[in-house]
Amino acid sequence: MPDWINIILRSLTLLAVLFLITKLLGAKQLSQLNVFEYISGIVLGGIVAIITLDTNANLIYGLLAMFIWFIVPYGVEYISLKSKSFRDLTQGKSVVFIQDGKIMEDNMKKHGYSTDDLLEKLRDNNIFQFADVEFAVLEPSGSLSVLPKRENRPLTAKDLGLKLAPEKEPQTVMMDGRVLLEPLTNLNLNPKWLETELDKQNVSFENVFLAQADTNGQLTVDLYDDMIAVPAPTEIPILVATMKKCQADLELFALATENEQAKQMYETNSLKLQQAIDGVSPYLNE
Amino acid sequence: MTVGSQVKSCYSSLKNVEATLDVLANQAQKQESQQAFFTASQAITEIKTDLQQQVIQLTKEEPQYK
Repeated sequence: MPDWINIILRSLTLLAVLFLITKLLGAKQLSQLNVFEYISGIVLGGIVAIITLDTNANLIYGLLAMFIWFIVPYGVEYISLKSKSFRDLTQGKSVVFIQDGKIMEDNMKKHGYSTDDLLEKLRDNNIFQFADVEFAVLEPSGSLSVLPKRENRPLTAKDLGLKLAPEKEPQTVMMDGRVLLEPLTNLNLNPKWLETELDKQNVSFENVFLAQADTNGQLTVDLYDDMIAVPAPTEIPILVATMKKCQADLELFALATENEQAKQMYETNSLKLQQAIDGVSPYLNE
Repeated sequence: MTVGSQVKSCYSSLKNVEATLDVLANQAQKQESQQAFFTASQAITEIKTDLQQQVIQLTKEEPQYK
């Protein structure tokens, strides 16, 4: 067998084996790998490279070595899934660097972190003053997780006591001019609905590059032809505006009429409408 | 515009609002939003009934504009 065929065969075999091994070892991101997994990855790659190019080397020996370098990390991962103490040993524990706003110098020293390193890690988290930190912990992966003090945390709707509507994820209902049925069903909608919506916007199916529908079933589209201006969804803004207009009208009628009974009716209804507006406005993202 | 026609136009606007709210209530994905739209739609229906009475009364008062 000529060498070049040998090399092609070796490459294909080892590619398949390597593919299988990486699939089995799991879908962890490279940055999440611990040192052990990192090294075994490199070794596996090295073995494959040597066995592929060196035609004198025994393919079976290579596969054997690969198997060992695969089975040990695989076993370690399997056991650490089951046992917490084993996991602490193989993956390391997180270390508290700042607690109650005070820096733990001993922990830092033990892990070889200088004050500059700590400040740098804090700056990575957009914190330039250690006084702003309530709690910080060094993760086994080497990144620093920081909990700023209460007053330095970003303001959330909860802090303001705002009531927000629950929201489901928007669904992409059309891609490259083709209708995606599954996302449509997720929204309890059908292609007929999509057709009507597109007709409303005066857009043809073939021209749609991307279309997404949100929780309230409002459709936004992007067209292949960028010269055509697509109107933004107007249904909800118009609804809110109409409700407000009617409420103002009712108030106006109440002021204009001289009939006491009618005045009373207009006033109560204007109040009722205002309550209805307040009731739905959180759900309309207004 | 006479008072009668003004009230009438407000009545039609409310009809539109009611219909849109019903559509939204049907399309809403979460129980909570559905409930909110439904309640609002019901309130609008009540207002509509009151306003309809008023429209009838005003038509009687302004027969020349009928």
